[in-house]
Amino acid sequence: MKRLKRIIAMVLVASVASTGFLQTAQATLIGTEQVARAASGASDDRARIDEALARADIRDQLQALGVDPRHAADRIAALTDEEVARLAEALDSAPAGGSLIGAVVFVFVLLLITDILGLTKVFPFTRSVR
Amino acid sequence: MRAVSRLVPRRPPGLARALLLGLAFASLLLAGCATQTRGLLASPPADLPPRIELAHTPFVEQADFQCGPASLSMALGAAGFDTRPEDLIGRVFLPGRQGSLQIEMMAAARAEGAVAVRIPGRLDALLRELAAGHPVVILQNLSLAISPVWHYAVAIGYDLGRRELVLRSGPNRRETMALSTFEHTWARGGHWAFVALPPGRLPATATENAVVEALVAFERGARPEAARRAYAGALERWPGSHVLAIGLGNAAYAAGDRAAAADAFRAAAQRHGDGAAWHNLAVVLREMGDLGQAEHAARQAVAADGPWGAQAREELDRIRSLRERETTPRRGGGAGAR
Repeated sequence: MKRLKRIIAMVLVASVASTGFLQTAQATLIGTEQVARAASGASDDRARIDEALARADIRDQLQALGVDPRHAADRIAALTDEEVARLAEALDSAPAGGSLIGAVVFVFVLLLITDILGLTKVFPFTRSVR
Repeated sequence: MRAVSRLVPRRPPGLARALLLGLAFASLLLAGCATQTRGLLASPPADLPPRIELAHTPFVEQADFQCGPASLSMALGAAGFDTRPEDLIGRVFLPGRQGSLQIEMMAAARAEGAVAVRIPGRLDALLRELAAGHPVVILQNLSLAISPVWHYAVAIGYDLGRRELVLRSGPNRRETMALSTFEHTWARGGHWAFVALPPGRLPATATENAVVEALVAFERGARPEAARRAYAGALERWPGSHVLAIGLGNAAYAAGDRAAAADAFRAAAQRHGDGAAWHNLAVVLREMGDLGQAEHAARQAVAADGPWGAQAREELDRIRSLRERETTPRRGGGAGAR
């Protein structure tokens, strides 16, 4: 893994050094994303390398979490650099909306009461008193 | 709330835990008040209709853990993008997490051709979007922070008189939830909400920053014409936005309309005086064959002295060498005559 990262990093350094950009929409225009990033005060090749590494990293993580490799590539391509940076840090901990009823037996009674009080809405059969 | 989650795992099971839960419950009673709901109901904004329901919003019943794809499909359907939730599963669902991530929800909406914009995390903003006809995708934590149950749903209406929010949620085509209960579950989801709109339309409440961020992300994968429409619409509301102005030029260029791109870059350059706009203007003018104006723009780009200095100088050199070639026709024969 480390080795792979090193190789990716070297390739990226070379490509950044030779072209100046990793993904410019057109041959020579300055892209909107670059301008937006410069406006927010961050624009250097180092950040680009970090983000490209983060993309590779997220792809590994998505696949480890059961995403089809073909979909993983599309999904990463759809993200902006900033989104990639945010996701790379929190893929395991970010909220993943999914279940209606999770593993809530442990706090069943508490949640039943909070449901009735209208603070939560875990159980479909509860009606809030409010 | 945070204190509770830190304490609970450390305690041995049994009486101590029961006591702690009691304490947690008591603190909830004290801390848990739906302040936004109270304020809103006490003095509702005069321009907010008392009751709204976007009944035309399609309903997609969620399969196991698939509230993400289902909610997305409903919101996209309301915006005129027909998608099947099965097709969205591959784009947003994470089997290992049994759910969908917020960032990917918005990215998937963009991939389907919609502009996805975060709205401010305030109840009044949510209701205003509904009043403007935009269903809102929201993230709730239906449970407590110590045992979260993350859930996506689509808000489609409200009734201030009944103090209710109307949702398409999970298996329920029309779920009504007390506004105060909703506020609690939404607050625990970080007050996260977004709208998905056709390019060119704008959310009623989103900030300039949120729209700029959404459109820059949208341009990334959109058809150039769609991106162009989206930028043009946003520039009407925020004519002073530098990034939107550059975006309009880039999208017009990508759509093959160099003249419009030049107009957009020129307007941006004259308004903001920035190197990126001058540089892009120089490139477009050079490609259009107007080398004199192109050189002028490139000089301005170099003078602007920003992060694009190196590119600007390169472009200036390119234009100059082209002009030299133009003024010295047929080098081989002309050299002796001069």
